[in-house]
Amino acid sequence: MSGFLEGLRCSECIDWGEKRNTIASIAAGVLFFTGWWIIIDAAVIYPTMEEFNHSYHACGVIATIAFLMINAVSNGQVRGDSYSEGCLGQTAFLSASHSARIWLFIGFMLAFGSLIASMWILFGGYVAKEKAIVYPGIAVFFQNAFIFFGGLVFKFGRTEDLWQ
Amino acid sequence: MWLALVALSFSGAIGLTFLMLGCALEDYGVYWPLFVLIFHAISPIPHFIAKRATYDSDATSSACRELAYFFTTGIVVSAFGFPVILARVSVIKWGACGLVLAGNAVIFLTIQGFFLVFGRGDDFSWEQW
Repeated sequence: MSGFLEGLRCSECIDWGEKRNTIASIAAGVLFFTGWWIIIDAAVIYPTMEEFNHSYHACGVIATIAFLMINAVSNGQVRGDSYSEGCLGQTAFLSASHSARIWLFIGFMLAFGSLIASMWILFGGYVAKEKAIVYPGIAVFFQNAFIFFGGLVFKFGRTEDLWQ
Repeated sequence: MWLALVALSFSGAIGLTFLMLGCALEDYGVYWPLFVLIFHAISPIPHFIAKRATYDSDATSSACRELAYFFTTGIVVSAFGFPVILARVSVIKWGACGLVLAGNAVIFLTIQGFFLVFGRGDDFSWEQW
């Protein structure tokens, strides 16, 4: 899907040349780790279960797993570029590209799911209950939003042409 | 080369001075911010791991190098986030936090300066060490 961004060519902005991958990696790192430090901040300020139910951490953990899953497969594997073996052997049930697509599908589902869950936590657990302290809910939402967008930037902001 | 070395060590000393001021001034006196030194020490490590792993490849970039940039950025963000969190729970005062953040910035610029000046040889070989 790195070809997808070529369609939106604004002549100066997307084609940063050789630095594109570096800038995308750094931007993704800033987003991802800022997300985690936001939740660390909320957990340190509100350590009790009433203010910040500790099970809300699961959202960010699933988002991180989704980030790792999405970025573990390269676009080349999803396209089916190389004739590498699938996870069950070359002539078996699933080819490598099929396995990569299923892996990516599950990864994106987990990513979207954790983003939606964070919104649910904010609105269902904090806004609807009209709690006095809303900051932990906002922190969970922003953590997952940052991790999600960090994952997107890391996946689609880099081009694999520079790896040849 | 000598000038660069002296200038870099000077800026490193300034950065560490800011960090120590943030801990040791009479108004503050709390030494928890010294833990950011751990982040400073581990920040070059992903770069070296990636350099070692892709030593004989002449591609412009590689997934390994980009992952190293990702983790290095994470370590830098953590080094800035840690004093802010300490200040938000009033373990340290905001003035100390400001000094520590300034020290962080100077030290990371120093480390980056080291890589720019001493890491750009055309044939980067391990005999330099």
